[in-house]
Amino acid sequence: MTVNISNKAAIVGVANTEFSKNSGRSELQLAAEVVAAALADAGLKPGDVDGMSTFAMDTSDEIEVARAVGIGDLSFYSRVPHGGGAATGLVHQAAMAVATGMAKCVVIYRGLNGRSGHRFSAGVSGEITTSDSIHWGWYMPYGLLTPASWVAMCTQRYMHLGNCTKDSLFEVAYTMRQHAATNPQALFYGQPFDRQEYDAQKKVVDPFQLYDCCLESDGASAVVITSVERAKHLRQPGVVIRGVAQGAAANMESMTSFYEGEIATTQPMDIAAKQVYAQSGLSPEHVDSAVFYDAFSSTVLFQLESWGFCERFGAHDFVLDGSLRLDGRLPTNTNGGQLSEAYIHGVNGIVEAARLVRGGSVNQPNKEINHVLVTSGVGVPTGGAILGTMDTL
Amino acid sequence: MSSETLNFEAVQIGDQLAPREVPITAALVVGGAVASRDFTPVHHDRKAAQQAGLPDVFMNILTSNGLVGSYVTNWAGPDSTTKKIDLKLGSPNLPGFVMTISGEVVAKDDALGTVEIAVLGENNVWGMHMQAKVQIELPRSA
Amino acid sequence: MTAADRQALEEQIYAYVGRAIGQPKKSMDDVNVAMIRQWAEVMGDESSIYFDQQRASTTAKGGIIAPPSMLQVWSMEGYPMAASPAVDEQRALHQIFDSFGFTGVLGTNTSTEMYRDLRPGDSVTSQTTIDTISEQKATARGIGYFIETVTVFTDQHGEAVGRQVFRVLKFIPNESNGQGAQDSTEQSGTPAPPVRIPSPRGQDNGWWWQAVDAGKVLIQRCKSCSTLRHPPRPMCGQCQSVEWDSIESALAGEVYSFTTLYHPKVPGYHYPLCCAVIELAEGTRLVANIVGIDHDAVTIGMKVQGKVEQVDEKTMLPQFYPA
Repeated sequence: MTVNISNKAAIVGVANTEFSKNSGRSELQLAAEVVAAALADAGLKPGDVDGMSTFAMDTSDEIEVARAVGIGDLSFYSRVPHGGGAATGLVHQAAMAVATGMAKCVVIYRGLNGRSGHRFSAGVSGEITTSDSIHWGWYMPYGLLTPASWVAMCTQRYMHLGNCTKDSLFEVAYTMRQHAATNPQALFYGQPFDRQEYDAQKKVVDPFQLYDCCLESDGASAVVITSVERAKHLRQPGVVIRGVAQGAAANMESMTSFYEGEIATTQPMDIAAKQVYAQSGLSPEHVDSAVFYDAFSSTVLFQLESWGFCERFGAHDFVLDGSLRLDGRLPTNTNGGQLSEAYIHGVNGIVEAARLVRGGSVNQPNKEINHVLVTSGVGVPTGGAILGTMDTL
Repeated sequence: MSSETLNFEAVQIGDQLAPREVPITAALVVGGAVASRDFTPVHHDRKAAQQAGLPDVFMNILTSNGLVGSYVTNWAGPDSTTKKIDLKLGSPNLPGFVMTISGEVVAKDDALGTVEIAVLGENNVWGMHMQAKVQIELPRSA
Repeated sequence: MTAADRQALEEQIYAYVGRAIGQPKKSMDDVNVAMIRQWAEVMGDESSIYFDQQRASTTAKGGIIAPPSMLQVWSMEGYPMAASPAVDEQRALHQIFDSFGFTGVLGTNTSTEMYRDLRPGDSVTSQTTIDTISEQKATARGIGYFIETVTVFTDQHGEAVGRQVFRVLKFIPNESNGQGAQDSTEQSGTPAPPVRIPSPRGQDNGWWWQAVDAGKVLIQRCKSCSTLRHPPRPMCGQCQSVEWDSIESALAGEVYSFTTLYHPKVPGYHYPLCCAVIELAEGTRLVANIVGIDHDAVTIGMKVQGKVEQVDEKTMLPQFYPA
């Protein structure tokens, strides 16, 4: 890598809207509100922004959001494909733009009515014919229609090859819910569950029951990114982007990479992790806390292995040691994650990761947090980032 | 006492009721509405049903409730006493569909002598038409 | 709807909570054998206790009773509902909803308790109260409110004989979600039984599905280096040749991974539904269903044999059985 974007850019403002099952307003309005709130958090004016990035899937055009918020001329805008795989990809875009001088201040955002509008659990239907729907055509006739079913196919093989049982899936879902139960913004605030309640939930697709699956929610999240120099003079403590990368594996498909090699792994995440560690010069022992993309409980296990917190198939034992809990080795998804806070396609996870670095998580672990890992969706081309305090520069 | 009635002791949690196939006909939809004195136009007038967004007249709730009731009492026998029917409605039943009703004993209350039956009615076009929980008291063996 | 509209609506509707919809109503007919017989015929009630006095008297009931699920019938208004239904507080409430665009109405739940058997000659009086109105909810049908009414049924002695909770959704119809509009067949008025969602057929995959229609599963083969590939794509990833032909798979293989689906239930499919990645003897993998075995008995590594079958009125698919 000839250009290293490590330590060039910092997160200086973050915001979420409220999370709900029915926002009562348009996705554009959610996006505009959250972008304005993130700028306010940073102590910046809309006119300070000259770059924007969002998901390819987002329905709110950058220039529409810019116009709504009163953002002026833009010199940089971009979109990242592959659903939740885009989350830290937005940080990647922003950090590259800031590091290379293509933009001075970039706002990234994602707003969706994921419950009152289009629900991902409804599955694909092939109603719109595109090259993508031809891909789904290999699954639709057999009934393999939903994200849960695609991830389940890999999870079943993972559980077969390793020593993984429902115990570790429960531990992941349980820990996320414990964190949400003490997060007033979370949709599951005040609603912890125990093993009995977890086991009693309806089966969705083996091995997942209801609590292994993320929420569907309305809401928006935004993050403001500018240079580390400028971050030193802003309202909030800056959160340095120590490393950020994307990854797509050879011969992969979006969500259904079933055809080559071992499917009980997350190769795209392995690729992203390797790059992030190389860029930042950091290694797993430097990471104090993590926000993993948890669309399904098992995806946290895969990612623990990709990022080297344990050996391949070691995640089961790692989580059963209580490692993900607030007093564990790697306090994880302290906001409740997408399993229990809200499903904002991972961008609420970036907000939480920044808060952990700032020391402002509602469930801030009782230890020094210098570096926090945050990741994008699994099963698709994906990515991850390590964020650090300004002191770590 | 009637010999056709199941005894409380003979029924076990997990027992399955024989499925019943109900062809949904215009006669059943309209006849059910009239038998239940429900003259709401969507249950007998196709134009009214179409204005309500459905292609044809559709079964009223009282008929769905009645089909649940008869399904369970036909199984339990004449000495049984239905105490409660909780009914949740799903997709409509239209003429031309076939609904399959199935049931399973899901609970027994020894003190009350009641059993609880989970009933599911699924049609072949739109899936779940109704889900019900029925509490029914059964005579004890002499 | 605007926040102001919502506030105006909610101020009006919540005022109805706790109100009786009208005076107690005595059923026009006492419980009687004629109405019971008509009901029992339609519902397929087989029990003689509903209409055969002689046989009913030999049961524990000692005589004819009304089918318990008939309770609500004794409170129904009857024929006037067709043209000029009585205006009561419930209809007034619905009209308020209608005026704010919440024109959809859908019965979602009933919960009926029967305190005693009703017999011919009993007289049933009912009184309905608007019990609760939910907060605004986003439902699959659209944005709406759930209204729960409670009806108490009493007999000629003033004793309660039953109680029914009736839950309806008043909603703004969701244009894109009209089940009827989506599925209706104009000519017959009756939607056809659903079939599985077909694959779109384009230049790169249509030939594969046409072969399935004809009962065969093919595997694409590079003409230049003979590498097999699935799913089909236009270029060989090994040698970049765009020349290809295919071989027919013998459909012998083993389960590489599998999963059983329960929820959601998509029309056209039968659940629980087992889907698997099959490692074919030829070396490529194929996603297909596993059938002919209890889903709990499927294991990774299990040998399977496939055949192309018609799975519904329109769909041919490879299905795999235990070998």
